[in-house]
Amino acid sequence: MINVTDLKKTFGKHQVLKGITTQVDQGEVVALIGPSGSGKSTFLRCLNMLETPTSGTIAIDGIELTNPQTDIARVRQRIGMVFQHFHLFPHMTVLDNITFAPIEVKGIPPEAARSKAHELLARVGLSDKADSYPSKLSGGQKQRVAIARSLAMEPDILLFDEPTSALDPEMVKEVLSVIRGLADSGMTMLIVTHEMKFAREAADTIYFLDDGKLVERATPDSFFTRPQSERAVRFLEQVL
Amino acid sequence: MNRNKLRIGPIWLIAFAVLAPTLGSSASYAEAAPAAGQKIILGTSPDYPPYESVDAKNNGEIIGMDIDIARYIADRLGYKLEIAPMDFNGLIAALQTGRVDFVMSAMSVTDERKKSVAFSDSYYAARNTIVSKKTNGFYSVDQLSGKVVGAQLGSIQDLFADTIPGASHKKLNKIADLIQELNTGRIDAAIVEDAVAIDMVSANPGLTINFLPAEEDDNGYAVAFPLKSGLVDDFNRVLAEMQTNGELQKIIDKWFADMEPSNNGSSGSLNIDFRVLEGYVPYILKGIYVTLLFTLVSALLGLIWGTILSLFKISSIRPLQWFATAYTSVFRGTPLLVQLTLIYYATPQLTGFDIPALLAAGLAFGLNSAAYLSETIRGGIMAVDKGQREAAIALGVPYRKMMARIIFPQALRHILPALVNEFVALLKESSLVSVIGVTELMRRADVVRASTFRSFEALLLVAAIYYVLVLVLTSLARVLERRLRRSD
Repeated sequence: MINVTDLKKTFGKHQVLKGITTQVDQGEVVALIGPSGSGKSTFLRCLNMLETPTSGTIAIDGIELTNPQTDIARVRQRIGMVFQHFHLFPHMTVLDNITFAPIEVKGIPPEAARSKAHELLARVGLSDKADSYPSKLSGGQKQRVAIARSLAMEPDILLFDEPTSALDPEMVKEVLSVIRGLADSGMTMLIVTHEMKFAREAADTIYFLDDGKLVERATPDSFFTRPQSERAVRFLEQVL
Repeated sequence: MNRNKLRIGPIWLIAFAVLAPTLGSSASYAEAAPAAGQKIILGTSPDYPPYESVDAKNNGEIIGMDIDIARYIADRLGYKLEIAPMDFNGLIAALQTGRVDFVMSAMSVTDERKKSVAFSDSYYAARNTIVSKKTNGFYSVDQLSGKVVGAQLGSIQDLFADTIPGASHKKLNKIADLIQELNTGRIDAAIVEDAVAIDMVSANPGLTINFLPAEEDDNGYAVAFPLKSGLVDDFNRVLAEMQTNGELQKIIDKWFADMEPSNNGSSGSLNIDFRVLEGYVPYILKGIYVTLLFTLVSALLGLIWGTILSLFKISSIRPLQWFATAYTSVFRGTPLLVQLTLIYYATPQLTGFDIPALLAAGLAFGLNSAAYLSETIRGGIMAVDKGQREAAIALGVPYRKMMARIIFPQALRHILPALVNEFVALLKESSLVSVIGVTELMRRADVVRASTFRSFEALLLVAAIYYVLVLVLTSLARVLERRLRRSD
């Protein structure tokens, strides 16, 4: 479903991604792990062109994002993204946050968008917060709303950029369980995370990135029990 | 022999440099050809009764001795007279750009002016007088030695006051200012022309008037035309005719009939008496509408254009950035008054569109305000968390919708106080546009001050009105702010 070929990204003189080639299948859940500064987030942000790759190609179902002729906005509608700091729209209610893009971008009738939003809120356990403003929510609630907002566009792929890193520990669980539910439903997902336990349980594939390279690509079992590279061994020693 | 002012000088030089190639548009009229109802435009500064003033107590028409003479001449030559009121400082410019065909505004002939405009024969010569407190009652120049003598800046009386031996000389901007300084004792006497002096004294019973010997008749009031205007000879012919058939004297008598100082003012110690505004209040209040309309137009224009400029500045397209930066630099770096004057006088020359004064003023202030607002708005946009943009992009929201629905509403919250400041400033600075004759609040106050020969009352009234308007504006802003903050 996603094909990445020799993806490179340079910020100024600093090369963050040094040529990544990989392929993600439909319904696959990928956990991206690695030390900070390894390029995980940049890689993720390239997948919906929040960062423009310096070279290499990204294709989604054969549509090349890196081709300047491609209507990026259209492709982005198929790729949801959840951010570390939620980025809910603070001047809109929870309901408006969720319905804004479906109504304004996809042209879905407001009534339909609203009933869909209520459905999604129920799914993330926040039915009673529809009319609240984001400032009234806890971090965990905000992130669940952000997930619902992404789902409202009915994406084929969801990207999570450290979705629990900004949360207080007691709220991590509620967010992870929502993400896990999505994984079980067959959504294609890429998740940058530091939650090793979650990565091991929820992911189909682990990508271990270090210094801008995809060092290991393995099943969780094989990665966590038999890491191949010395760098992965060292990393796991530090985090486990 | 009054009002020699040429303060517009530097501004006019710039305007002239721009317009010079297109000047001289006033067609010359064939001699004695009956103009058959063609319109002819008189430029005048109606704040100088009895020569020209706004009949503020009645319907706001412009009346006066000059107006009657102009009407008579236009009639005789077969023109339809139209009157364009404007500030005295703008009259010469209006002639040179062809906005008006001739000027009658108690304008005396000077060598300086002769370089820019043509003059008819003089039709009236006023006499100088000494106005002083009754307790002093100065009647001759000799008594003024060692005293402080005031006169209106740039007037013929100003020149005359310079020649008084032994007196120190204070130059003031307006007749109303002279009265005030006399009353407070900052000056001992004022040199003022006769017609004006009589009205001054009528309105201020503590003052008295004494006529000075008549001067030579060589610099009386005359009609001004654009250089090389074909109208000069026609006007001179009719003026001569009016002199012989007694029409001129009839008009002069009509306006100077009540030369006897009447005593209708009061003499409180503070010398403020709002009764003098009786009958003028509705005239002043009508200025609120003009002021508000002007402020609204310029604020809207400034907001919209300023927003576009701010988008240029944050765009990645270099030429747009350059344009917006250069624009801001120019409009912030030159005086608003210059911009206003240029837009008002240059637009008809360059585009052929005879831009109304109010529109020109709104345009000038809007364009100027946009330069400042573009910086404010840019700052507001930059202050919105970058993640908001990314979240919108990730959802596939197109640029325009993202700016309009996600970024601006949040930026607005940051910059609302700055916006309110800007609009308050616009509201108050609107008094500047009286220069091109827009009859907003300040202009009307000046008209009433000129008509009543009292300086404080009208000023205090409009100050109070401005204050109330600003209060209303700021409380509206507070309501808006509360609405924007309900999501906190």
